[in-house]
Amino acid sequence: MKTIGFILRIIILVFVSALFIIPIYFTFSVSISSKPRINEGAIVPDFYLGHWIEVTGGFGYWRAGIINSAIVSLACMLIALLVSLPAGYVFTRIKFLADKHLFFWFLTNRMAPPVVFAIPYLMIWRGLKIWDTYTGLILAYMVFEIPITTWIIASFLAGIPKEIDEAAYIDGYNTFRLFTKIILPLLRPAIGVAMFFAWLFAWTDMFFASVLTSVNAKTLPAQLLTALGKVGWGVEYGPAAAAGFVTLVPGLMLLYWVRKYILRGFIFGRL
Amino acid sequence: MKTQVWLLFPALILTAFVGIFPIFALVNYALQTPFAIENRFVGLTHFGFMFRDYRFIDAITRGITFAAICLAIEIPLGLGLAYMLRKPGKINAVISALIALPTLFPPVTIGMMWLLMARSNGPIGMIFNTILTSIGAGIYDPFRNHMHALGTVILMDVWHWTGLVFLVSLAAISGMDETYALSARTEGATRWQIFRYAELPQLVFPLTFVSLLRLIDTLKIFDEVYILTGGGPGLSTEFVTQYIRTVGIEQWNVGYASAVSLVYLYIVIVLCWLMITVLTRGRGLIE
Repeated sequence: MKTIGFILRIIILVFVSALFIIPIYFTFSVSISSKPRINEGAIVPDFYLGHWIEVTGGFGYWRAGIINSAIVSLACMLIALLVSLPAGYVFTRIKFLADKHLFFWFLTNRMAPPVVFAIPYLMIWRGLKIWDTYTGLILAYMVFEIPITTWIIASFLAGIPKEIDEAAYIDGYNTFRLFTKIILPLLRPAIGVAMFFAWLFAWTDMFFASVLTSVNAKTLPAQLLTALGKVGWGVEYGPAAAAGFVTLVPGLMLLYWVRKYILRGFIFGRL
Repeated sequence: MKTQVWLLFPALILTAFVGIFPIFALVNYALQTPFAIENRFVGLTHFGFMFRDYRFIDAITRGITFAAICLAIEIPLGLGLAYMLRKPGKINAVISALIALPTLFPPVTIGMMWLLMARSNGPIGMIFNTILTSIGAGIYDPFRNHMHALGTVILMDVWHWTGLVFLVSLAAISGMDETYALSARTEGATRWQIFRYAELPQLVFPLTFVSLLRLIDTLKIFDEVYILTGGGPGLSTEFVTQYIRTVGIEQWNVGYASAVSLVYLYIVIVLCWLMITVLTRGRGLIE
């Protein structure tokens, strides 16, 4: 009985792992196959590196997409963090009129479907002449990122006793010194997680990028959409698979860095 | 201390600009026919029209059915996997990481992966083709057959998000109080009884939380489906998000799309409120 259970368990786990590996393997395999091989199926690649060279090298639109994505996501990460650190501090340390309602409103912004904001942004950004610019895209992402980072930081800050602040004030620290000398070092994990999720959102988003940009600030996911033929010309599976892989790599690297705190971030970040 | 409230202002001003301003614009657009040949005030006509708009009603029904099916698969699957992998160890850690991995992938990449695989010569296409032809149910073609398209979208969502349920369940299981299960075992309870009466009550809270999280996420789904099927074939995989985009941006019927957006936003916010109330058991978000 016990051996049968054990074998069954192994079979299920092997099946599950295969289920999760196959799509990743297959995408990679397509990205290193030549066009005729892709048309045949590309289960086994023929190690054609042209797609990777096309995506990462040269001066084509792929490279522009990667650069735009990097600029937008890094800027988003920094701005969201700078703005939400003090906000998280206020939410956890100070009681003021309707503070809970304000915090709930912050979070509803994150939970709102992006498509709801797309139409007004498109119209307003065109009016303000920031459509298809980095500024416009970064502003659009702020509506989702500030709530995530603020919540992550607030939830970690709630675990740091208030008495520390009071002791610091008695010792003559002002708010700025309190932040730089005491709060920030204690909050290092929270900052890591908040940065990761703020970055991840801007890096992975396709919807806003496809609505709010066309040429100048087009990010990699929006470029991917074009390559898959939903918007523009014919389907280019090979470069799209390579570009898809490029979208995964930085996330995996950052994940390694913040892995200890990832679950906590997941629960907050996905909201 | 009170003076420090100003520290909130940068976040508040920025969020108000990108969060409130557009909602007012949305209300404004919803009451007229903006950016059209003739801009006139129509009052609540758009909201009334929604009740007769079968494409919208179908999209909402489809979305709710889709969410229900996805949750019914993902929650037991994630919980079951977490039970199988709860003991620490190298192999378990590797498999756990594999299961959690897709939750980090960009939705657009997930959509592309499944688009590649669902072609007739991709792995999913070949496997399903073999299965379906052998039971005599015709060939697998998610780009023409409505049921196959919806099935593939559900499978994709399960693949993408079971990892989240799994991670939350794993954390919940490792935080469980073992004494209940232990005393139940001493009393001679079966494995199922231990799970049902000693362990499940402790897991209700995280499971409710992750279910609501998934519910909200499935209602927001856009990128993956847009890449994989584009809402087709026909309208068989069109959800409200896609409908709003089609009406508002492709057909340029901004007024009506804004009205649909507002109704949809309201539904999602009510769900969120429900989730937070359940999550914190009515205590509010920050203590």
